[in-house]
Amino acid sequence: MTSRPSTSATELLVDLVTNTADPGYAAATARRGTDARRRWFDRPAVVLGCLLVGFTLAVAYVHTHRSAPDVAKVHNSLVARVKAAQASGDALEAKAQQLNGEIAKARQQALPGTSLGTRLQRAQLLAGATPVVGQGLAVQLADPPQPTATPSSGRAGTTPIDDSQLLTDRDVRSVVNELWHDGAEAIAVNGVRLTPTSAIRFAGQAVLVDFAPITSPYTIDAIGDSDVLVTSFADSDVAGRYHTLTSVEGISFSWTQQRRLHLPATAAATPRYASPAPSRSSR
Amino acid sequence: MIAGLALIAGVVVGLVLRPTVPHVLEPYLPIAVVAALDAVFGGIRAHLDGIFDAKVFVVSFVSNVVVAALIVFLGDKLGVGGQLSTAVVVVLGIRIFGNAAAIRRHVFRA
Repeated sequence: MTSRPSTSATELLVDLVTNTADPGYAAATARRGTDARRRWFDRPAVVLGCLLVGFTLAVAYVHTHRSAPDVAKVHNSLVARVKAAQASGDALEAKAQQLNGEIAKARQQALPGTSLGTRLQRAQLLAGATPVVGQGLAVQLADPPQPTATPSSGRAGTTPIDDSQLLTDRDVRSVVNELWHDGAEAIAVNGVRLTPTSAIRFAGQAVLVDFAPITSPYTIDAIGDSDVLVTSFADSDVAGRYHTLTSVEGISFSWTQQRRLHLPATAAATPRYASPAPSRSSR
Repeated sequence: MIAGLALIAGVVVGLVLRPTVPHVLEPYLPIAVVAALDAVFGGIRAHLDGIFDAKVFVVSFVSNVVVAALIVFLGDKLGVGGQLSTAVVVVLGIRIFGNAAAIRRHVFRA
């Protein structure tokens, strides 16, 4: 930076910080003397340089602010596509349910009051193919409302990646399993009815119940003998565990006895590979 | 005076034309910006010192951009483009700060 020779890297760095003026100016002045006349290109050169500088800054500004909306545009279009797909999925689901209802009605007209009809109805009920009402238990499970600003008590590096999401599919699943164990006859998680083929999984940041993404707070409605459900559930290990987590991690966990719960139907998957085995009596 | 007008004119031209930066040149944009700011602050300081020279101003700006771009280009080819880009920004950034401090001393005598 200066004409003075730098002997070491340290000096070079010190020089860099202390001697910020471009040595070119000093050199030019020394060459020409301080009272040199203006040359013909002085003014155009300054104008050209300033034009270039201004142009560069403006281009950088425009470039930065043009690419930002592009990102937003892509994001918006993706969100719109997801929403459209969700809407069409919901519409198909509704249509399937409506058609199922028509089938059920037609079937009832065809098999009025027969034992076959009753058995079919029972099977459909258990399979989650018909909406059901009844007394039962509603369990609420929710992530902490806000990620805590205070540092957690754990060692550094032991905090979960996403503090705001403590509950995963395992938690929903264990509550559901406990409710089945306690004698529930029909269960819905956040309005998604569980069937014998239902899976509760975790993908990305959402819990998937039969491919329907649900998020906190999770409401698990179970129809059954509500007194038995409440007492068994209150006694269970699962309830005890989430009670502990409530005080430690700040999740919210509660359950209420319900006199009347309404669970929706689900368009049950048609078995394609499983067919009824020939019964012993027919052999 | 005329320098300020030219600067504003350049900004206006850039905003009106809104040129698209070719993808190849995108990595050099930050360097060009820092070099431009360095040229401006260096020029103002030299002016206040009474040693401003138009030729030095233009040549230093252009050569700074070209040399910095070359360094980063070379670094890109050798796999250290990001680090060299940071180095260029740091060196020019220090100069900008130093020049700004010199300008401050000139203007406020503090």
